[in-house]
Amino acid sequence: MTNQPSNGSAIDFPELLSRVDNDRELLVDLLSIFKADFPRHVRELKDVIAACDHKKITVVGHTLKGMLANLAVTRAAAAAARIEQLGRDNSGKSEIAEALRTFEHEVQGLLPEMEAYMAEVQR
Amino acid sequence: MKILIADDEALSRRLLEKTLERAGYEVIAVENGRAAVRQLCQTDGPRLALLDWVMPELDGPGVCREVRHQQIDSYVYMVWLTSKESKEDIVAGLESGADDYLTKPFNVEELKARLRTGERILLLEGRLVEAREMMRYKATHDALTSIWNRGVIMDLLGRELMRSQREAGCTIVLLGDVDHFKAVNDTHGHLVGDEVLQEIARRLLLSIRSYDFVGRYGGEEFLLVLNNCKPQFAESRAEDIRKIVSSRPIQTLAGPLNITMSFGLLLSDAWGVRPVEELLHEVDAALYAAKAAGRNCVRVAKPPAEPELTALAVREPVPRAR
Repeated sequence: MTNQPSNGSAIDFPELLSRVDNDRELLVDLLSIFKADFPRHVRELKDVIAACDHKKITVVGHTLKGMLANLAVTRAAAAAARIEQLGRDNSGKSEIAEALRTFEHEVQGLLPEMEAYMAEVQR
Repeated sequence: MKILIADDEALSRRLLEKTLERAGYEVIAVENGRAAVRQLCQTDGPRLALLDWVMPELDGPGVCREVRHQQIDSYVYMVWLTSKESKEDIVAGLESGADDYLTKPFNVEELKARLRTGERILLLEGRLVEAREMMRYKATHDALTSIWNRGVIMDLLGRELMRSQREAGCTIVLLGDVDHFKAVNDTHGHLVGDEVLQEIARRLLLSIRSYDFVGRYGGEEFLLVLNNCKPQFAESRAEDIRKIVSSRPIQTLAGPLNITMSFGLLLSDAWGVRPVEELLHEVDAALYAAKAAGRNCVRVAKPPAEPELTALAVREPVPRAR
């Protein structure tokens, strides 16, 4: 895999706007919720992966997948889905660690990108 | 229409809440399965639900199973909205009792269309329940007077007699007959006769407690079953009921009519364990004794085994005189 973030924006903004029916107020609401919850879930994901708790890996991977998919963060959602699947399959530690790296790569820069977008939306 | 959203993930909940409010729904959002069951099992709870699969306390399949198990009065149309998307998950989700399955991220138009399908099914269910209730009402109530019909009042009598035997209590059985009813029909016509019967049923209903029963036993005969009564007050209660019926004229198409009733009275504790038919035969005999005594009065059916009371006992039915 590449060490560079995937090309282009992590968020499919046109798709996201269509999902909220161009409601900018709702969009700001959703991005605020994401900003508050996402880091907490990522921390939790790292903890349960370190503890090799497959059941919790599945649950947290599932939650992150849902959050990201709702915001049209497609590649990161797919990376979270991969972690969820590995948790469900009781996969080995190294395989999950690799999936976590991919996930981190995909969400790298996501929050700043969202903040910039929020600022733009609120203007 | 009310709709429940059950999703532990705040972002998803907010997005759904807003989307559904815009579509005209009254949204109730909860974040765990236990709260979802509480909402859905309320009498006035939502009948349409969007459920996430993975939730704390009780997961989505658990919600479906509990709601179906509790068999609440109205059907709840439950739709999965989850990011679980394998065929196995879809099958398992539907088999847990859900009606439809959608995967996240949802398409707004598809979501609304699926919910409209749910609304159509709920509407159909509502119509079926209404029709069933109407049929049940017709099968249990007298068409003219709207009180219990003969079949139901007989069942209720049997049940109350068994209960009073079991609990060593006393049930009062009152059989009433409208005096000179044939003359009302012959003189004023059947429509007026019907008015009289309707008003008598209404007065009888007003004269009893909410947990007593009154039914139409025959043409102009009414059966009253009064539960948990103190025997010493039985005759005075029967007298009160008789007076309530005759207290004032009944307004009819033919003008006000003075109507009275005669009653046979039976106290179950005095008769021990006897078949319902036998007790009805005895109270019927008491009713005819009341007719023979000049009508507009109450006569008590007393068991012949009590010699000191034989003066009041009614052993043989007297000739029918209405």
